[in-house]
This record gives sequence, C-alpha cells and structure tokens, in this order.
Amino acid sequence: MKSLDPRVTRLPSPDSSEKEESALAQFGPFEVFVQPNPKKPFQHEGAVHAPNLEMAFVLAKEAFTRRFTCTSLYVVDTSRVFVSAMSEGQQNAFDLIPQTTSPASSEKKSFEIYLLQKRGKQSIHAGQLIATSPEDAMWNARQQFNKGTQVFQVWAIATEDIRFTADDENDLWQTLPEKKFRDASDYKGGDKLKEFLERSNRL
Amino acid sequence: MKEEATKELLYKMADDQLILGHRNSEWTGFGPLLEEDIAFSSMAQDKLGHSLALYQLLNQMGEEPPDTVAFMREASNFHNCIFTELPNGEYDFSLVRHFLFDAAEIVRFEMLRESSFVPLAELAAKITGELRYHNLHAKTWIRQLGSATEESILRLQQSLTFSLPYALGIFETSPFEEALMSEKIFAGEQALKARWMEKIEETLKPTELRLPSLDNIHPVYGGRLGKHSEHLQPLLDEMSEVFKIDPTAEW
Repeated sequence: MKSLDPRVTRLPSPDSSEKEESALAQFGPFEVFVQPNPKKPFQHEGAVHAPNLEMAFVLAKEAFTRRFTCTSLYVVDTSRVFVSAMSEGQQNAFDLIPQTTSPASSEKKSFEIYLLQKRGKQSIHAGQLIATSPEDAMWNARQQFNKGTQVFQVWAIATEDIRFTADDENDLWQTLPEKKFRDASDYKGGDKLKEFLERSNRL
Repeated sequence: MKEEATKELLYKMADDQLILGHRNSEWTGFGPLLEEDIAFSSMAQDKLGHSLALYQLLNQMGEEPPDTVAFMREASNFHNCIFTELPNGEYDFSLVRHFLFDAAEIVRFEMLRESSFVPLAELAAKITGELRYHNLHAKTWIRQLGSATEESILRLQQSLTFSLPYALGIFETSPFEEALMSEKIFAGEQALKARWMEKIEETLKPTELRLPSLDNIHPVYGGRLGKHSEHLQPLLDEMSEVFKIDPTAEW
C-alpha cells in the first residue's frame, strides 16, 4: 500500500540509495527528535525543512519545543533515517525484517533504534546498538528489541549522523516552563464570558 | 545618583527590547519560510518578555507600571537606540540587525551577571538560555547566507555596511557611565563594545562578509537621550492603538 502521508513516503527504505527530491520543498527535510524530560526517552516529533543539519537544529528548536517541557533535542537528515516495512493487520514489523549477512571486515558503528508502538503515535527511542549497516542494524534490532508485542515500524539512525544538543546548550529550555502564555490553558476565556453574561443579565 | 543611574540603564535596555521585539514581530506571517517565521516570532516574544521583566524592576523602584510605561510615553521619552526602531525593510536587514543587536545584548547580560544590583544580576542569569538561542540562530543564519550565493553575500554585506553606524549607536555613552561603573552596576558601554566587536568578528570570520573599519564610521547617536528618527512615533502609535482605546481594560 502506498501511503499518501508525506511523513511516510519521504522516508527511504533501507534498500533505496537514491535521495528523492521533493518538487515542492525549498530545502530538504530533516527529522526532529525531542526528549520531554530527563526521565523519558526521545521521541520523533516531526520534520523541518532546512538547507543543512545545523540550520535544521536551530529551526527545529522553535518549531517543536515552544510549548511543552523539553530537556534535549536532536535532528537528522531524513534520508539518513532508515525504516523497516510498515506492518499490516496483526503482523509484527520485527518479523518482516530480513536477515542480513555482513562481511566480517565491515566497520561497526552505533545506531539509534526507534519503534512505532501505536499507529498514529510518535516513534519512541528503544535503545542503541552496534551494526555494520542500516540493514544490519535492523536485523540486530529484531534480535535485541523484539519483546513479542506488536510494533508497526522500526527505524535505524546512525548515531554519527545526528546533530545532538551539546552539553552546554541544555539551558536553551531553561525558561520554557514559565511561558504558560504559549499554552491555551493559560487563557481562561470561559470565566470572563460567564462574568460578562452575568453582567449583561443584570442590566 | 545611584538610583537614577540604575533607572537610566534599565529604561534604555527595556526600551531596546520592547521596540526591537515589536519590529521583529512585524515579520509574523511574512517570514521567508515557515520554520523561520516561527523562530523569529518566538524570539520577538522573548524580547517583549525581557522588556516586561525590566519594566517590572523599574516599577519596583517606584516607576509607573509596565503597561503604562510601554504604551503611554511619547517617542521623546523612549531611550532605545535608533537602530532598534528602523523599519524592517528586506529580510537581510532584519537578520543583520538581529545578529548585531543580539550579540551586544548577550554580552551586556553576561556582564550584568556580575552586577551589584542583585535583581538585574538574577534576571541576567535567568534569561541566559534564551539569549544563547537568539545568538545561535543569528550566527547560524549569518554563517549560512554569508557564504551561500552571490546574491545572499551581496545583500548581507550591503545590510551590514548600512547597519554599522546604527549598531554603534547601541553603545552611546550614558550620562551616568561613571556612576554605573564605580557602583559596579554595569562595567560600561566601551567595555561592552570591545567584547561585542570580538564576538561579531568571530562569527563573520569563516564567511565571505567583510567588516568595514569602524574608525571611519560616524555612529548614529541620540536614541538614548530621546532624540529619535521619524520611524519611532508611528511604531508607538500602532503598538499602543488598542491599549489606548481603554487603558483600564483587562485582557
């Protein structure tokens, strides 16, 4: 099934080597991952368009971390996010991942693994592993992170491709909890309307 | 003398933040790309927040409440530098102004973290992260466009050359300079300017942009003393238009 959702179609499968150019996009897309608080794992938050990785980081900060608490953020070029096949029905996406054999000489590197555990929700960071290629990372993820419960899609991102929040950038979100005016809950329109109606009834 | 000097410092800082915050907010909905529109609007909102915090400090020192000082003063009672009130023009100018002003702003607040006026030192510490983001944003754009295409380099260079006399107006000497320094409230505009120069040179270094020699540039002063360009009063009229319909209204 070919999805109409650009968030799905823009992600390359591990075997696609060509980076597809979107006719409508001014700049290429980058995926944004956010850690809402120190106790929670990173989660996929959305995408930004930017001319490069550093600009993507800068733009993602305001596009995705304006309202809720945030302790850290990172971005990666969308073409560097490798995705498994999407599962259908009761299938577990892990079961769709084919075995790969990597040459013994291949250099190993670290990958971040994300799992889509509920349809329509964000992909959540499941952990890190060492692999020789995105395909190998997928296969290793199947061995290491498959708990038997259904997941709908698996993502693998080489850690070296990520623009992380540097240690000395953690204060970027320092004053965010105070900015309640950016949240609808800070505007008690109902009380004012009630007061206004009561006043007009008295007249 | 000490109190008067502190107030003058707070007013010029608050007015800079309010006026530039308002100017930058004029880009909301018109930014060059969606993500940038959001980021620039968000930083404009931060600036209004900084002005509010500074007006609150003034209020605690006996001045009128923040809304009154923000919306009810005439242009001649504002102490912002003229740089902040200039119309937005094209995005290249707005970006260069953001870069030059915010570099001075972060250095000023870094210096104020040492201030003997404790409420100001505390505010300076509190907003570090916001200022850091503003500077990261400006630096990243300047580095990107300052070495991208012939057009982007040319446009930034023209805006940089145009902006410098106004940017130097940020550092107009205060009548209370000596008092601020001797009381260790603020280490002074000249010290700020020297550190600002280093900062902007460092950002421009890897780009194709060239910083003209500042020796031959005549700074545009006057703003700190209430002598403004023709652009400030229309800005104030528009900004306070709704407030003035009913200054007692609650929002």
